Amino acid sequence: MSSSTEVNTFANDELTVGKWFGNVWTAIRTVIKGMMITFKYVYGVKPVTIEYPEVREELPKNSRSRLFNDVENCISCYQCATACPVDCIYITAVKRDKDAPALKTKSGTPIKLDLLQYTIDTALCCYCGLCTTVCPTECLTHTTDYEFAQYTLDEMKYDYLAEDVKAWRERIVK
Amino acid sequence: MENSNNVEKLHTDLMTVNMGPQHPATHGVLRVEIKTDSEIVAEATPYLGYLHRCMEKHCEHLDYRGVIPFVDRMDYLAAMNMELGYSMAVEKMLGTEVPERAEYIRVIVSELQRIASHLMFFGTYAIDLGAFTPFLYAFQDREEILRLFEELSGARLLYNYFWIGGVWNDINDDQLRRIAQFCDKMEENVKKYHDLVGMNKIFRDRTANVGVISEEMAYQYGASGPVLRGSGIDWDLRKKRPYSIYEKFDFNTVVGKGEMGTLGDCWDRYYVRVFEIFESIKILRQALEGIEEGPVMGKVPKIIKVPEGEIYLRTECPRGELGYHLVSDGGKTPYRLKVKSSCFTHTSMLGELGKGQMIADFVATIGSIDIVLGEVDR
Repeated sequence: MSSSTEVNTFANDELTVGKWFGNVWTAIRTVIKGMMITFKYVYGVKPVTIEYPEVREELPKNSRSRLFNDVENCISCYQCATACPVDCIYITAVKRDKDAPALKTKSGTPIKLDLLQYTIDTALCCYCGLCTTVCPTECLTHTTDYEFAQYTLDEMKYDYLAEDVKAWRERIVK
Repeated sequence: MENSNNVEKLHTDLMTVNMGPQHPATHGVLRVEIKTDSEIVAEATPYLGYLHRCMEKHCEHLDYRGVIPFVDRMDYLAAMNMELGYSMAVEKMLGTEVPERAEYIRVIVSELQRIASHLMFFGTYAIDLGAFTPFLYAFQDREEILRLFEELSGARLLYNYFWIGGVWNDINDDQLRRIAQFCDKMEENVKKYHDLVGMNKIFRDRTANVGVISEEMAYQYGASGPVLRGSGIDWDLRKKRPYSIYEKFDFNTVVGKGEMGTLGDCWDRYYVRVFEIFESIKILRQALEGIEEGPVMGKVPKIIKVPEGEIYLRTECPRGELGYHLVSDGGKTPYRLKVKSSCFTHTSMLGELGKGQMIADFVATIGSIDIVLGEVDR
């Protein structure tokens, strides 16, 4: 079959016998040089791989991993939901009864709204950290917990008012 | 005689082959439709859009701070450089002054990111051409940079670190010391890597005289960054149109010389990228000397409202020139944010570059222009 397309070639010098042997010599020389560098890694360099389930890496202190909201200190100000660029924070809050006992956060801010729902869809979250920086009571924080794989997408929605999610407070190192 | 006539009468046709969208050599989800004449590429057409996320449209509904995480996701291998351009554009429109220390941190961090990005190129390009070991070496060094970024910003890949008015977190002395150590180590390592890969005869034969972008073609397509410099054109925005505090630093522009073959071939582009690491180290060392104590965040209102107007701001990213055209109508959100990415222009060259190449050479050509599909499609 004759080829109709021409091959673009930019090499302009012709191959002579001397050049052919020269090429062979350069190939041997450079490959040996490369192999010398590679062999240094056999004993000279320590392995850097972390053998994961046995050895768990500890993330740096301000690493942005799973979000945790301490709902007892939350004043339902909606600032996190406004700042979120992907709108993955769902908050429902109603006005607190006047007769109910007055509540205060750890820093002393009065809580005027009753939080009914505080859900973050972690599957949507882009871990940008904008919600934690606007939080006035600093109750919403990124933790260094990175093991939170789930079987279904629905399980990635964390309701921070649920008892089992509240228990993370003890589990998480902040 | 009769036999040869029969051969000529045989019906020959071009075969259409799809390279990608899932192909290890296309670095992401790029589809190149190739019409092949046996082993030769007769026609190559790149098709885009597999990673399109409507980023520009999204930005019209986000406040100015919320855009930064989206900007990160364009070129995910050089997210810091993407943030730098955007935050500078907004600051210029707001008239905010960035503190001196923040500017230094920005330069340090974006040069580190440039090194990380070029290391990534070095590793993946070697993989494209069939060498696996250099990839691991490159990742070992890149890991150190990512670890440092994780401590600085809290994330490994998509940082959200440059904020409008400064940077989010201050850098401490220990980290600065580690960067200085990294510079020393990196200088030796890159020399070693260049001996291992760049000078190797097999690598030279695969890349020299392949995928030649002539000076004229580079101008015509509007190439920038290492692709332009690889064609022998001395153009670096950091040098020619200094932004941020780049005018304070003394460094050279690496330009391809056609050492191993024709000027503007794949080897030249490889050479420019690898030797730019040394220039970045030079800048880093000067920045580490010049950095002084001070605040890292300028005065920015809590709700950012950019005055009416428009701006076009461009910066030099590891892959080329990145331009932001930001239009504001005085509201809380950008009216329009148009991004001019270098990867897009470089992808458009593939059609002309591929013509008449062997398929294996075409793989080398795609690798050498180093495109990130996140930036092509946005």
